[in-house]
Amino acid sequence: MNRRPPRPRAFRLDDARVAVDGAPAPLAPAAFIQSQRDPIPAAPAPVAIDKQERQVEAAQKSGLLSRWRFSFAALAWTGLAGLASLAFGLWTASLIERLFADAESLGLIGLVFGGLLLVGILGLAAREILAVTRQTRIAEMHVAFARARAADDRDAARRLVGQLIALYRDRPETARNRAQVEDAARAIVDGRDLVDLAERALLRPLDDKAQGEIAAAAKRVSLVTAISPRAVLDVIFVIAQIVRLVRRIAEIYGGRPGFLGLIKLARSIGAHLAITGGMAVGDSLLQQIVGHGIASRISARMGEGVLNGLLTARVGLSALAVCRPAPFAIDKPPGVSDVAPFLFTGGKEE
Amino acid sequence: LSFFTDLVFEAGLVARSLGDYLSGGGLRLGITGLSRSGKTVFLTALVNNLLAGARLPVLAASAEGRIARARLDPQPDDAVPRFAYEEHLVSLDGPGRRWPESTRRISQLRLTIDFESAAGWGRRSASLALDLVDYPGEWLLDLPLLDKTYGEWARETLGASETQARAPLSADWRAALSGLDPEGDADEDAARRVAKLFTSYLRRARDDVYALSTLPPGRFLMPGDLEGSPALTFAPIPLGESDAIKAGSMAAMMERRYEAYKTHIVRPFFRDHFARLDRQIVLVDALSALNSGPAALRDLENALTEVMRAFRAGRSSRLASIYRPRIDRILFAATKADHVHHTSHDRLEAILRALTGRAIARAEGVGAEIDVIALAAIRATREAQIRQAGETLNAIIGVPEEGETIGGQVFDGVVEAAVFPGELPADPNLIFEGDGIARSEADNDWRFVRFRPPLTARGVHAPQIRLDRALQFLTGDRLA
Repeated sequence: MNRRPPRPRAFRLDDARVAVDGAPAPLAPAAFIQSQRDPIPAAPAPVAIDKQERQVEAAQKSGLLSRWRFSFAALAWTGLAGLASLAFGLWTASLIERLFADAESLGLIGLVFGGLLLVGILGLAAREILAVTRQTRIAEMHVAFARARAADDRDAARRLVGQLIALYRDRPETARNRAQVEDAARAIVDGRDLVDLAERALLRPLDDKAQGEIAAAAKRVSLVTAISPRAVLDVIFVIAQIVRLVRRIAEIYGGRPGFLGLIKLARSIGAHLAITGGMAVGDSLLQQIVGHGIASRISARMGEGVLNGLLTARVGLSALAVCRPAPFAIDKPPGVSDVAPFLFTGGKEE
Repeated sequence: LSFFTDLVFEAGLVARSLGDYLSGGGLRLGITGLSRSGKTVFLTALVNNLLAGARLPVLAASAEGRIARARLDPQPDDAVPRFAYEEHLVSLDGPGRRWPESTRRISQLRLTIDFESAAGWGRRSASLALDLVDYPGEWLLDLPLLDKTYGEWARETLGASETQARAPLSADWRAALSGLDPEGDADEDAARRVAKLFTSYLRRARDDVYALSTLPPGRFLMPGDLEGSPALTFAPIPLGESDAIKAGSMAAMMERRYEAYKTHIVRPFFRDHFARLDRQIVLVDALSALNSGPAALRDLENALTEVMRAFRAGRSSRLASIYRPRIDRILFAATKADHVHHTSHDRLEAILRALTGRAIARAEGVGAEIDVIALAAIRATREAQIRQAGETLNAIIGVPEEGETIGGQVFDGVVEAAVFPGELPADPNLIFEGDGIARSEADNDWRFVRFRPPLTARGVHAPQIRLDRALQFLTGDRLA
């Protein structure tokens, strides 16, 4: 050690050679003593999670991570669904009975079809449940990653990174990056650094892919809207494109949304759009209006096309935010202008 | 036969825990620590803060305003002394204020907290009966003896007494041992003499200047009613290589008494108190050990590792692990955090982490959540900055106890003083370097003086540091 640490020492407060808190002091005080009134920090600084991340988490909570809550609507739907399935069961039973009454062979065929239906429904239900749990798990991972990074928690980070690697195990193209992250997890790396490393190695390629999808969808939508002959047609097209885009994004990040999963995801995306409000992630409304304005001055149809493209891009970005297994930490969340810059050049390129 | 007694013992434990479960016992919180670590002060302050409805920002239930009131109730165990909360509180107050008397025996207090639960459907009133059990940490160090035979224990204790730090303290006793023949006939006089020397060695080692910690058997230091009984009149004596003990010999007598100590003192404590705890806080006075030197710190580390063994003691049988309530949270707390400036709290915590690191690494089998904090149950100081000759030092202001010295300054216990205790090392492992014990002030880079309790206005509870965090860790989930 180069510097000798200061020696312990003490000063009596009634000592005449000591100046305490600006009280009348001797001419040349041996020491000044200044009281401190700051409260002692009660706990380590609260885990800081930025606003955008809180918005994403709120959105996830209202869809993907929503808990079942009692409501009369749910009760009514449950009752209705139960009655409907009973009626369907009764109808099937009576149908097969009638078939048997007509001819035994017909009845057997009916029974076989009924069995196929049952197996199919069970399979579908199982797949739905698996898909929903998978999507929920990804959302939980997202929340846990945010906590682990903020708290610099090495154990949690290690566990989560393990889960992330497991999530992408069946993607051959990530093999190299997975191995790299696994090595880092074994070495002595702090929690925050480990999370960042995993994000850089595993999620960045996926981000690029997802952003490419968003850009392609936005481009398609704006083009088709601009040239479509009927308004109804482009509404249908836009909706179909958005559903396809959301699905693609979820799949890119390792989810497999089925029907129910998609509904939950749609809720989260809607919530995220509502929470972020006029402010698309990383963009200002102004920019969008300006872009729209220039395009609409060129042609009304073109303007509509740009607007629909913007809408698609924004939905895509919200989907990206809620589907990503970890929050954006080292990278800035992409904005509309990052994924679809062509929308702001006023359609001059198109 | 030993298997049979073990079985009966286990059955008793299971029956007891089942009884506790059925009678709806509260949350049993064990408060322990080696002597002078501040157990009594911690418990008094904890009860006082809750009774007074103090604002405890980190305790979620308190911060959310869900605690309606707390009150003292009659404790469920009629045979256990009550914790003398009121007396301790009085002793902390007024001009003649002093720290309460130290814990010499087990005592208990039941505190019932009425609160509104925020979990589940809607809000509803609930109450948590908190059974606070205060007992000397030395008893905890006895628990590992349950798994040791006399031969093992004697060898370990003799080995420890020959280390550089302890050799001068134990010289008398070891000299007496050399004239003793373990194979010879049992001799009560000799046994008494050796036991007395052994006890005085333990007493001296515990003195403030040495601040050694690993000193089982614990009852030798606090004998209570059993003073002079055969169960407390034994000492480790060197056995031969084979550990064989001849019937009727000196060694046989010592072994018998060692076993009696286990049967009549350690086991009842384990069965009646320790095995029933749900949560545990272990208070550690790291500052005294820091004052004393690296050897004392290593000794403290050993003691904490032994403490962790205590938490595992008796966990081996399968039956026990299923039926017995386990300690599921253990908090190690460095007390007297108010004796350093808050900018050093992280370092104090890091030092405690280093001290308990070995213990925690071994804790895998315990199945408990473990945390480490630096706290002050009663904050006796305020903070200040000293500027002197171009240096700016983070200091604390308080009334040092009478007779405390620092830098040639001797205090009278009346005058307030601004104290700069020195800097704790940034790397906690540096504190283990060297081999000194009972070091003089000049050899250390720090000097921690003890302060008198703070003067508080009547009816106002004393300020605290992180008592709320400790409470949140220990009880937060039950107050959810």
